[in-house]
Amino acid sequence: MGALLSGSALCALGGSFAWADEAFVTNQESDDVSVVDLETTKVVATIAVGGKPAGVSVAPDGKRVYVTSPDGKYVSILDAAGRSLLKKIDVAGGPVGVIVSPDSARVYVADWYNARVLVLDAARMEIVSEVKVGASPAGMAITPDGKTLYVCDRDDDQLSVIDTTNLTRTATVKVGSHPFVVVFSPDGKYLLTANVMSDDLSLVDVASLKEVKRIPTGSTPYGIAFAAGKGFVTAQHADQLTVFDVATYTPTGSIDTPTFPESIATSADGRKVWVTSWGDDLLVSFDAETGKEVDEVAVGKSPRGDGNFIRHTSHAD
Amino acid sequence: MRAMFAALVAGALTLFTGAAEAHGPTRQKVEITIDVAAPAAKTWAVVSNFQDLSWLAPVTKLEGTGGSDIGAERTLTLANGEVVKEKLEKFDPTKMMLFYRMDGDNIKALPVTNYSSRLTVKSVDDTHSTITWWGAFYRGFPNNDPPPELSDAAAIKAVTDLYNLGLGALKTKIESGK
Repeated sequence: MGALLSGSALCALGGSFAWADEAFVTNQESDDVSVVDLETTKVVATIAVGGKPAGVSVAPDGKRVYVTSPDGKYVSILDAAGRSLLKKIDVAGGPVGVIVSPDSARVYVADWYNARVLVLDAARMEIVSEVKVGASPAGMAITPDGKTLYVCDRDDDQLSVIDTTNLTRTATVKVGSHPFVVVFSPDGKYLLTANVMSDDLSLVDVASLKEVKRIPTGSTPYGIAFAAGKGFVTAQHADQLTVFDVATYTPTGSIDTPTFPESIATSADGRKVWVTSWGDDLLVSFDAETGKEVDEVAVGKSPRGDGNFIRHTSHAD
Repeated sequence: MRAMFAALVAGALTLFTGAAEAHGPTRQKVEITIDVAAPAAKTWAVVSNFQDLSWLAPVTKLEGTGGSDIGAERTLTLANGEVVKEKLEKFDPTKMMLFYRMDGDNIKALPVTNYSSRLTVKSVDDTHSTITWWGAFYRGFPNNDPPPELSDAAAIKAVTDLYNLGLGALKTKIESGK
């Protein structure tokens, strides 16, 4: 968030600083990470990580990128600006989901096979603790103060709520079938899970921890992002984005995509959403207002990019 | 096709029958294209019939409902007695593409889980077209360190063998006009 704010301030002052987001896309089949300059839409680096990389999370301070390799059973720590591998951290099990705390000090890694979330200390670059959750933990969301972590327990059809101060599970919330990703609504009042098997989103009230609504989507929803007052959901088997209105949480339409869209994230200026196409080995963007496809970038094989794969930065750094 | 079924170890199967829908972390894909000496419309007429797999030798019986409309279902009985259910999710005559998914897993039929597939026909010229068979799936073993017969490699080989067999048979059927 710091990078985002300083970038915004620079924009307002000089007016000449364009956004220069970068995407760090995990390519599961080609065992590497494509670094894409989202302004020039060129692949500016390819970082070999191995181990069939899936999850990715750019630290909020923009300095590091964390990548999970479930087959290799390790987490790779990348130097974002240097496009280099700093360290591989071995973890028993199958690391998939990954998220970084707002202060960039802690990294939470979901272990798909062992129903736990591991805690990685960013400064020490080692696993320091863990907390038990439900079956096949996947995507996660964290509050802006870093105190509460929400984990998709995919095969238990629930969210686990984790108090990060003492690393205990304080609650679970039943949602739709096989939630893979969870995000906060733009106003922070709700959590939304993408339920891969029930073809819908669960809208969960953060205060009461109750599911209050289901939002139907195209087949096999995998990712959620917000832009221009709308929500965009990758519907993987439909080769579409399902679009919904954020004021009413009702679907308003769909946008055709290349095949098997997977993860989705919003550009720093909020004008575009970027989507990985697992089927066609592409990173593509759509104009959030018009829904028209804007950019198409060839990346590595079978891109996933599950997690916060966009690094917000500016020409100033 | 025989290799596809032989790739399975009966002893391993009983262990995982309760693990439907759980899957490993790495989704795989296979895509194979074959040229057909027939115009695209003729090729699509055969490929687009969701209720006909007479060209796919291991399928001994097909029972279905809904024709080739979205939501159509078919139940396949294979030569080894195993049963597979599939559902049509997308059908686009303009793009000459159909997409379906397996309803539940049956690793005795195919050593994969969460299988979905797309068949696409493209025109090359007035007398030639191509068929592309594309599949997305996870290996048969849902956890780390799979046995060889339920590994990523075994899953990819089984699907590759199936697609090569099926596309070859489709080509013969369409070109011979039978």
